[in-house]
Amino acid sequence: MTDTPQAKGLSRRRLFAGAGAAGVALGAAAGFAGGRASAEPAGGADDADTVDLSRSHEFYTGSHQAGIETEPQRHCVYMTFDLTTTSVQDLQVLLARWSAGIAQMMAGRPVGTVDPDRSSAVPQDTGEAYDLGPSSLTVTVGLGPGVFDHRFGLAAKRPKLLADLPTLPSDVLKPELTGGDLSLQACADDPQVAYHAIRDLARMGRGTVNTRWTVMGFGRASAGKGQSTPRNLMGFKDGTRNIREPEDFDRYVWVGHDSEPVWMRGGTYQVARKIRMDIEIWDSSDRGTQEGIFGRSKGAGGPLSGGSEFTTPDFHKMVAGKPAIPAKSHVALAAHENNGGIKILRRSYNFTDGINELGQLDAGLLFIAYQNDPGHFVTLQRRLGSADLLNEYISHIGSGIFAVPPAPKPGHYLAEGLFA
Amino acid sequence: MPTPWRRSTALATLSVLALGALAACGSGSDSEASAKGSTTAKGGASQVAITLASGANGDECTADTTSVPAGPVTFTVTNKSATGITEFELLDGQRIVGEKENLAPGLPAVRFTLTLGGGNYELYCPNAATEKSPFTVTGEASASPTGSAAQVLAQGTKDYSSYVDLQVDNMVTAVQNLQKAVDSGDVAAAQKAYAEARPFYEKIESDVEGFVLPGFDATDNHGNLDYLIDMRASNLDPAVGWHGFHAVERDVFGAKKITASTKKLAAELTTNVTKLAKVAKGLTFKPEDLANGAAGLLEEVQANKISGEEEAFSHIDLVDFANNVEGAQQAFEALRPGLTEIDPALTKTISKRFAAVTTLLENYKDPKALGGYRTYTPALKKSDANVLSQTVQALQDPLGRLAEKVATA
Repeated sequence: MTDTPQAKGLSRRRLFAGAGAAGVALGAAAGFAGGRASAEPAGGADDADTVDLSRSHEFYTGSHQAGIETEPQRHCVYMTFDLTTTSVQDLQVLLARWSAGIAQMMAGRPVGTVDPDRSSAVPQDTGEAYDLGPSSLTVTVGLGPGVFDHRFGLAAKRPKLLADLPTLPSDVLKPELTGGDLSLQACADDPQVAYHAIRDLARMGRGTVNTRWTVMGFGRASAGKGQSTPRNLMGFKDGTRNIREPEDFDRYVWVGHDSEPVWMRGGTYQVARKIRMDIEIWDSSDRGTQEGIFGRSKGAGGPLSGGSEFTTPDFHKMVAGKPAIPAKSHVALAAHENNGGIKILRRSYNFTDGINELGQLDAGLLFIAYQNDPGHFVTLQRRLGSADLLNEYISHIGSGIFAVPPAPKPGHYLAEGLFA
Repeated sequence: MPTPWRRSTALATLSVLALGALAACGSGSDSEASAKGSTTAKGGASQVAITLASGANGDECTADTTSVPAGPVTFTVTNKSATGITEFELLDGQRIVGEKENLAPGLPAVRFTLTLGGGNYELYCPNAATEKSPFTVTGEASASPTGSAAQVLAQGTKDYSSYVDLQVDNMVTAVQNLQKAVDSGDVAAAQKAYAEARPFYEKIESDVEGFVLPGFDATDNHGNLDYLIDMRASNLDPAVGWHGFHAVERDVFGAKKITASTKKLAAELTTNVTKLAKVAKGLTFKPEDLANGAAGLLEEVQANKISGEEEAFSHIDLVDFANNVEGAQQAFEALRPGLTEIDPALTKTISKRFAAVTTLLENYKDPKALGGYRTYTPALKKSDANVLSQTVQALQDPLGRLAEKVATA
């Protein structure tokens, strides 16, 4: 990865441990309104949990798209689109314009003039992120199965493992929250920066794509390398055993060099699930019940077999004739030890849609997983969907699957190989 | 099945003919211009290569030559790596003479040919580190002076004026018929006449919007003809009360009763529409007025028709919708010959999107329904508003950029 902090020559630790003035001066020098906000106050937050709004990620890496291995930012807007055109050139132009636009926005620049010279001109960039800095924005583009159907003549180029997900146990998917031909995942440390990216890319796509479904995620619910484990809306640490090491990314996340079309190598598959939580019911359950469902302690997040958060769970440990970690707990069902070694990268966000028609808090988890074989997600979700104690409190209401091509080199655009 | 653009071909083959052919099967953005270029190229169209690339100070826009002799000039625009530049324009003063849009790194080069007369022009790359640079054409133009697009646009505005006059005449007749039907006391006949009178106003409403009668203050709705003719319940001015089409609609569709008050409203509507006709016939239009008017009509569709607010009692919103679209399309068609010279790509995009909207509207035609379109019931709105709205928005976006292209001010 070539994610590099914008401020070169100073480590981030030094930058933020040092006098505030230094940070401000640097932010100003970079041309952005430098902003800082400190993270979780307790728990020995390290510098990786410090938000640096002047930080930017590189789009044209020529390897993997940003927003996957990238340490999860604080906020994320996810949206899928249906292609309304039947012209393959329209799709091509859209991917090229999205690529250029994403590169601009990830660098903290507008996608065109915000205040054009001519008063009769419509501003190209909508402007609301103008002074906000890059805020670690990443936008990750996915191609759904529909891109490779009869419409565009691209069927022969379909990634081998890209197909609609099968019906899974406990699915209660709503059609209006499911599917899509293209997906955009825009994550940033400032929610307005993430929203601006989605808004302007949707605007660029009008006439070629219609919006399909969206989730506005706040609060990362997964950790990347060097980040402390955040909590989901059930109040539990989520993603303690997530993939972090580069070798695991190569093994479980990135599409390799042998199996897929050349244009997909270095890419991955994205599975997105909108999972509603029955917040009120969960909140009235006692700690013991909650811990038995997750298989971890609520406070420190250690496995019920003992130890601290990062202690390897012992699924064989018995207490009073019963497994210390219940067999139908979330941890037990999802663990790679119990799934033939399968691992997926989780990059989830908490979301809320306000209040539902029953007056209940409408919230849950925008679950986003990346893996080099969508079958791995299917295997895990088959087990979880049929047995997980958590199912009493959650429903999978939205779903999508997308092939995520690698990032282009400068002068090129996403999935360019499709049109060669 | 259309084929994708292939950059490698475009860059490897610099012959004008091959590029022209490629463009013709490409986005279509270049087809007219390139076809013209390819026929004149052998006679010696001047070639100007514009390169967009990211540099030390931001995105840069460079031309390989800044002076050409008068006559046909072909601009070939290649975006190598400038992510911030999406369009290139040739300016004559404030006026856009020609342009290319949708530029992005990785896409094949695009080109357009113009016949330019002698004079000082500017190359304009919005968002580049240096946005404008001088471009000189020496000598006299051999044919088609650069003013031609402006002249064609001016002719278009005259054609559009005639269209407006025709709608105004038809509107007066249709409103008189509505008054007759109301006076007869026949509710069904009044409903039918109402649905027949609405389209004319809807076609031209953006042209007559906000017209204030002489002697009235701009904020006094007593003198605001648009208020007196077309106000809906949601925006009533209590000082003036409810008048016009929708007050009549309330009686004949809502209460389904014709009272003395209904008759008074219908008579008053005839009077006001007649006043409006006189005003409207005296209007003259500039190209940007047509562009803004067309965009305004689509805003009407989006804000009031798809929401079902316009025809709250009769639910003939789709009739209004279709006629707003027709009015917008007429304004666009009047501009089209001039716009084609300035920006063939945008012209084509807008035409395509108009076609998408009118094709979609075909699904709602119903000869048995009032006004010829299906009644816009809450159920229909729930199932169809999404696709209607997104299809209209896809047209509204490029249409909103039209005024800038044709502005003569």
